[in-house]
Amino acid sequence: MEKNIIGFYGCPRFELIEKIKKEYKDALFIDLDVNYNYPDLKIAPDNYCVIIKNILNNALYLKDRIILILAAVGKDKCDSGFFVSKLLQQKGFKVIESIFEDVCPNKTSLKLPISKSNLPLKDKINLITKNIIEQKDYSNLPQAKAKFGFWGVPPNDFSILDLFIEPTEIFGWLRAVEAGYPGDFELEVEVDSNLPTIFFTQAFCSKTLLASNLAKKHQGLFIDVDCESSNSIKAKIEAFIKLR
Amino acid sequence: MKIYVDSGTTWTKILKIDKEKTYQIIPSLEFRKMKLDITKCTGHSLIKEKNIYENEVIALARGAKEYLEDDFLALDLGSRDIKYVEFENKKFKDLNWNTSCASATGATIEMLLKFYQVSCQDLVFTKEKYSVTCGIFGLEKIMDDISQGLEPKVAIAKFIHGIAFNAFNFAKKPEKICISGGFCENKCFIESLSQYCLVKPLGRFVLVDGLVD
Repeated sequence: MEKNIIGFYGCPRFELIEKIKKEYKDALFIDLDVNYNYPDLKIAPDNYCVIIKNILNNALYLKDRIILILAAVGKDKCDSGFFVSKLLQQKGFKVIESIFEDVCPNKTSLKLPISKSNLPLKDKINLITKNIIEQKDYSNLPQAKAKFGFWGVPPNDFSILDLFIEPTEIFGWLRAVEAGYPGDFELEVEVDSNLPTIFFTQAFCSKTLLASNLAKKHQGLFIDVDCESSNSIKAKIEAFIKLR
Repeated sequence: MKIYVDSGTTWTKILKIDKEKTYQIIPSLEFRKMKLDITKCTGHSLIKEKNIYENEVIALARGAKEYLEDDFLALDLGSRDIKYVEFENKKFKDLNWNTSCASATGATIEMLLKFYQVSCQDLVFTKEKYSVTCGIFGLEKIMDDISQGLEPKVAIAKFIHGIAFNAFNFAKKPEKICISGGFCENKCFIESLSQYCLVKPLGRFVLVDGLVD
């Protein structure tokens, strides 16, 4: 089978992505974090972050087509990002590791056209993650005054995003990615205290500690979801949005 | 006439408003056979029709506000779920909802009372409690103790104390809990919960009251 895929997870360094794009002009970039419903090969324990399970399941399902994997292994991803890189190497993948822990030198001049736009939350998240590879300029997107905030990472189950009222501003790791500094902790924890914000993490992710405490600090709602959102989670989000 | 319905897993609470208000509680199995022109509804057992369905936490918040001061935490403990909403200075502060865990809630108690032929009125508060983070383990302890000679009503009271302790922890250990749902009528539960915080029972119709515009 022809190898034509560059797999990646997290937000690898942009100059590395550009280099690989030039080297493999016809290759297709696939975000391995995303749930494509490929078979669960049960490599990770049951009680483990589903995003990391996605990386393993996607990589192994597409193995015959993957040229190489760009792996985020620094604080810009997580410890599991580092471990999964080693595991993928053991399983015969060519892996290029990336550490993207640069700190934004001037946070006051940041431009976040997607996070602050009038697009639906789901579209914003898709655009930010797609732009890791595409690096398009979205500065012309219409901006909007947000009514709610969403802090966190792209969820495994996007259906919860339909519950948010537009416009919802994005914070957390996604905001840091849009700013081009996925490992900047200060940027990740910055939220607008005036906005009712939902602090989301995947279950079994170490960011649950951060999210739950930020939710307390800013009177937000902390939720963690494993594979799919339960009715309980959806009802909590709906109630929070209506009551705040 | 306007009809408001809170249809839970086991019991359905109905509020009819014509010239006056009429409250009614019937088994949900019976309610499902009825054909009513419902104005607004909430609860597990109803089809979540967008136009007339209200989220249970919102119904709880609106219903409890009718009775309460500016700062309050209202907790509803039903047949199978537990939920709370907290307000401070008239503003929403916190909520939580566990909709699917049947382990330590009303239906389990009702089944235990029927199985051991114990009346709810005979239950007396006991200082001892079972750890009932999982109802199945709780049931196992009840059965073990009863097989060792403990009276069923005492074992069930220990189980209820465990549920009260769990409810207190679920609500993040507040100074006062305003309790809604069937447990309001369970004296053993109210006394058990009172060991940990002030308790104000609001009755079983808080959610239907919260549906009224």
